[in-house]
This record gives sequence, C-alpha cells and structure tokens, in this order.
Amino acid sequence: MPAGTLGRGQSVRIGAGGLCRVDELLGTGGQGEVYRVTMGKESFALKWYYPESATLQQHHALELLIRKGPPDDRFLWPMALCTVPGHAGYGYLMRLREHRFKCIVDLMKRRIDPSFRALATAGFELADSYLKLHAAGLCYRDISFGNVFFDPSSGEVLICDNDNVSVDDGTLKGVQGTIGFMAPEIMSDAAAPSTQTDLWSLAVLLFYMFMISHPLEGRLESSIGCLDYGAKVGLYGREAVFTFDPDNESNRPDPDFHQNAITFWPLYPRLLRDRFVQAFTKGIDKPYARVRESEWKSAMIRLRDMIVYGPTGAENFYDSENSGPAIDWATGDTIQLPPRLHIGKTVIMLNSDTKLFPHHLDPSRLYDFSRPIAEVTQHPTNPGLWGLRNLSGDDWTVTVAGNTKTVEPTRSVSLAPGTQIAFGASTGEIQI
Amino acid sequence: MLMKTPGGALSTRPLHFIWMVDTSGSMSYDGKIQALNNAIREAIPHMQQVAEDNPNAQVLVRSITFSSGAMWNIPKPTPVADFQWEDVKAEGTTDLANALFMVADQLRMPPMNERALPPVLVLLSDGQPTDEFDAGLKALMSEPWGQKAVRVAIAMGADADHETLQKFIGNPQMRPLQANNPEALVRHIKWASTAVLKAASTPVQQAAAPAATAPPAPSGPPMASSAPASAPPMAAPTAAPAPAPAPQPVYIAPVVIPTPPVYTGPANDDVW
Repeated sequence: MPAGTLGRGQSVRIGAGGLCRVDELLGTGGQGEVYRVTMGKESFALKWYYPESATLQQHHALELLIRKGPPDDRFLWPMALCTVPGHAGYGYLMRLREHRFKCIVDLMKRRIDPSFRALATAGFELADSYLKLHAAGLCYRDISFGNVFFDPSSGEVLICDNDNVSVDDGTLKGVQGTIGFMAPEIMSDAAAPSTQTDLWSLAVLLFYMFMISHPLEGRLESSIGCLDYGAKVGLYGREAVFTFDPDNESNRPDPDFHQNAITFWPLYPRLLRDRFVQAFTKGIDKPYARVRESEWKSAMIRLRDMIVYGPTGAENFYDSENSGPAIDWATGDTIQLPPRLHIGKTVIMLNSDTKLFPHHLDPSRLYDFSRPIAEVTQHPTNPGLWGLRNLSGDDWTVTVAGNTKTVEPTRSVSLAPGTQIAFGASTGEIQI
Repeated sequence: MLMKTPGGALSTRPLHFIWMVDTSGSMSYDGKIQALNNAIREAIPHMQQVAEDNPNAQVLVRSITFSSGAMWNIPKPTPVADFQWEDVKAEGTTDLANALFMVADQLRMPPMNERALPPVLVLLSDGQPTDEFDAGLKALMSEPWGQKAVRVAIAMGADADHETLQKFIGNPQMRPLQANNPEALVRHIKWASTAVLKAASTPVQQAAAPAATAPPAPSGPPMASSAPASAPPMAAPTAAPAPAPAPQPVYIAPVVIPTPPVYTGPANDDVW
C-alpha cells in the first residue's frame, strides 16, 4: 500500500479529547483516504479528507451527523471529528468494516455467492436502515454499488460513506448521486436528492441485487452504440422505460446482453415482481408512487417464507397463489413441496431448516431474527417424522383430527395436514 | 463452479483506454522518458483497482508511441488486470499526426465494437509535432469513436506545445495538465488512469463545487451537475455481432436439505 498523507504512528486528536495512532492506509477514494487507527487496544477507521474536500460545508455536515448519531448499527457513522497537529485538514473516526462484509460489486462480478435467503435478508436490512435514516429527516443522496456491503452468508448489511448524508431540505449541494442510480428527475436536473430520490436508488440497488442487471437496460440500451453521458441522460432520465413494463414492451431485455434479467425475473414470486413494476413504471415520473421502505421490508420477509428446496438443494420460491407445480431452476425437475403453515394471509413453507419468528405469529411485533419462537425439527428416533418445535415460553394448543392437546415449550407437534396450532396471538393451520 | 443462484456476472461494455506517448529525442533529456516509464508503471495498480471496483466496464488498455513515425508498442487491447508496461526509449522527431492516423484506424468500426463506453485517449508530449498534426486530428475526429473519446493531454516540461494539446482535447473547459517534475507526472498520469477512467464509465455527480479540485476535472465525462449533455447516442447498429455465449454455471449443492415429509403416521405420535 502506498504512503498516504498521514504517516504510520502519527498521533491524531479525536474531538477535543484523546489521541489515537495511525496504523496503516486502508484505501483511497475521491474525497480522501481511510486509515486504520488504534486507540488503546481498540481499532477504528479514520477518514482523512484531501485539502480540496476538507471544506467548511463538509465540516458542518459532519458536526450535524455526529450530533444526531447513527439511525442504527448498520451505519458506519461518523463518531468524532479528528485533527492532526500541524495539518490544516480534518477527518472523522468511525467503526472498521469487518472483512466478512463484501461489496455489491463482488455480487455483480459473481465473486461471492449468496443464497436467495441471504439476498432477501440483505434487502430487508437495507430497507429497514434507510427507513430509519429517512425517519430521522435525513437523506443518503448516493445509494449505489460502492457504499453498501453485506455478509453473503447471512445477509447482514453495512452502510458506508455516510458523510454525504444530509438533511432532506431540497438544496442542491454536495453529491448528486451515481449515474444509473440517480432518479430520473435528478438526471434531467429537475430535482435535488431527497428521500423520494433515495427510494428510486434503493429500488435500483435491490433490482441489481436480485436480477444482476439494471431495471432500465433492455433493448433501448443495447441499441445505443456509445453509452456516453448524453445517452445515459436519455436512458436513465427522460426516456426511461422499465424492462418489464407490462404496458410497454419497447425495452424488454435483449437476450444477447441482458440474459440475467431474463433468467431471474420468472424465478421470483409475483409479489416481488409487482413491487419492481410499481417502482419503475409509476415511480418513474411520480416520486410519491415509489415503493416505500416498509413495503420492501414486507416483500423481503414474505420472500424468505416462500423458499423451497429443489432435489439438489437449490433454493426456489413457491407462490401458493400459483397453482402450477414448482419447477426447480437448477435441475428442471418438479419440486416435492413441503407442508406449509397458514397464519392469516401469511403462508410459510415448512422446510427442514425453517424457523418462525415473533412477527409470524403477531404482525404487531417488530422483526427480530435473533430469537426464533418455533423451528421445524426431526423426531429424535424416527427420522421419517418431522414436527414443529415450540421454542417460545408459552404453551401451544393444537387440534389434530378433533383432539386437542397442549404442546409445552421445547416439545414438538407433527406436520400433519389439518393440524391447527393456537400460538396465543394467532392460530395457524398446517396444509399441503 | 459453485453457484447458489443462476445467471452470470453483470453484462459489461468495453472501455478502450489508449496511451499515446511521445518518444521523440527531446524526451531523452533530464530523465523525462525514465520518469514517464516510472509514472505509467506507478499508475497501473491504481488503474486496476478502479477497474476491479467497476462492474459496468471491461477496461482494455493499449499504447502507441510516436517519434520518427509511430508504432503500437502494446498493440493488443489488453485487459487491465494483465496490463504490463515495458520501458520505451526516446529518439527521433515528433510525428504525432502519424499516431493520430493509426489510432483513428483502430477506432474505426470494425475493429471497434459498435457497442462500448466512450474510449479514453491520454496523450503525453513534451514538444511540437513535426508532421501534419491537423490532418491527423481530422482523421481521428472523422471516426465516430474518435469524436466520442474522452481526450486528455499531459504536457511534459516547459516546451510542450499547449496549443496543439488543447486542439487534441477539443474542449475549452479542459486544459492540458502541466507536469514539470516527476511527482507531478505521476499525479497526472494516476489521475488520468483512475478518475478519468471512472468518470467515463460510472460517474458520480457532484453539484457545482465551490472548491476547485486538483488536478482539474475533465468536463468530457461530466462531473458537475451543470455539465452539458454531449451529442446524442450513436445510431443503432444494424448488425451487432452476437457475443459468445456466457459459460453456464453448474449448480453443485453443498448440502441437500431434505423436504420434510407430510406426517401420516399413528395419531399417538403427533406430539413429542
């Protein structure tokens, strides 16, 4: 790694308080450099601005962000302003990004291989975090490939580069976004970044993650020779057409260049496809019609519940509203469907690794994946027998063929069709 | 290949990056040619990192030198990950036009694809052209990809002909970068091979910034919100060559998760 502005061992003052020491340069970006620094036994990241980026405006923005604090722990948020004696510039301290978090570019280049479940979890976490950011009156301004990271094994998310976050006051200053992610109204200079334009960028990012392609890149894109700025203004701005617009087929994916979109689109259940249609048809010129974060959250949760496994273990989605057989994308075989649990309008496919969480039984509960309240389990002595184990602290009342029984915590009930389970807040029924 | 989901990598467009290097005799003074060799070599890893972080572009690099005549010292469009710089030597005159003709030949369709990102041409020179520069530039600009190219020029030393370099750039908002010492040369070359490369593929837009950035930003690939839109996209190709089919990943399940069978056993086994 080449030397940066700050040398190894350099003392850096954190706010008006203590000192940390520079260990090494981790990377450079358009606005500055990021170092690993140590304070006592703890390591942090220090972003140090280039002189031309160390503006008064940026300083004020950081002061505001530090004062407000992070919307949640998924943001690598500025913690304190930092200075170096003898240097005119400044920087800020933040948490280090763990190595298990990978960039979305790694997904686009298929250098990582997350499961559909991990993607749905990442989609949920992103929507949840941006909802909290927006609820705090802030907008991100540049949701794009470079500043979102996720753990491909779990779907946990980290959001970086938060120094561009600003109050959603409609002013035209700072970062406008990354072309391809910017809302059409920004591309045509008709609006400044806002919560509404963040929603567009979030939808683009989610589409990229699920389809490994861009929602507006179909035949209109493949027919462009030189994709320069003027062409991009048309494609992503004033002439934007969704590739799967049900009422406009002019920009369908081109099999020569957009095979991913053609491959992935039919694999997803209608609920996800409908969200993308809404986001990229009405949402093109009606910012108020864009898909809200809470709608994405709900869609991502339902996606997780629809996963079934093909004969070789490949994940597929099964839509219970779809009456046809489920065909495995990996082998082309018909999938043997597991039993499913109906709770109100929610349908949960009961695979051997399915877990139920508080929100499944009580829609008013917050999403919490840390404490499952039920899991599918195998009988300890009869491997052919599967059941649903009670991991909650409360008794369940089950009705099987007219007989009522109690299933205490840690005990299990068989996955027999017609079994009704009173969980307390709600009642579910096992069906095939 | 282990893949949990189908499909392949994101589709990319080629981005041709061409170094145009003055190797005339005057470049042999004051260690200029050595500084240039060093600066390009220094820039390569940074350029590779930018390409690595960009999922939209397939960056292909080559290089032409000009002195008494011109020659492609790296003729093949080389994936940036494999790009290596062999030292070039300085002698002879400054036949820039010759190089422009040869670059124009390469920007013709074919051999150029009809579908690509704007090429980036980086011209490094320390003197005045000794041949018909205007004719060479006209040849370059007569090719659609020549017109679309983002053209950057670096003036090495005080004797460089700024007027010529400015004509090559063809954009009054963007000036030749002046490199009077090896450090400045490294900085400018690094900038041309990273910031310009990035801006030509996936630009990040800033609102008109109050502070000037150094080195100056090109206005070819717009970095300011007020940047004018360039010419409309090229006409649709009539017969775009079909790309080779992407290799299909084979799914190998690491763990087969059994589907729980539906319980049909005796009723007294239904709770355990």
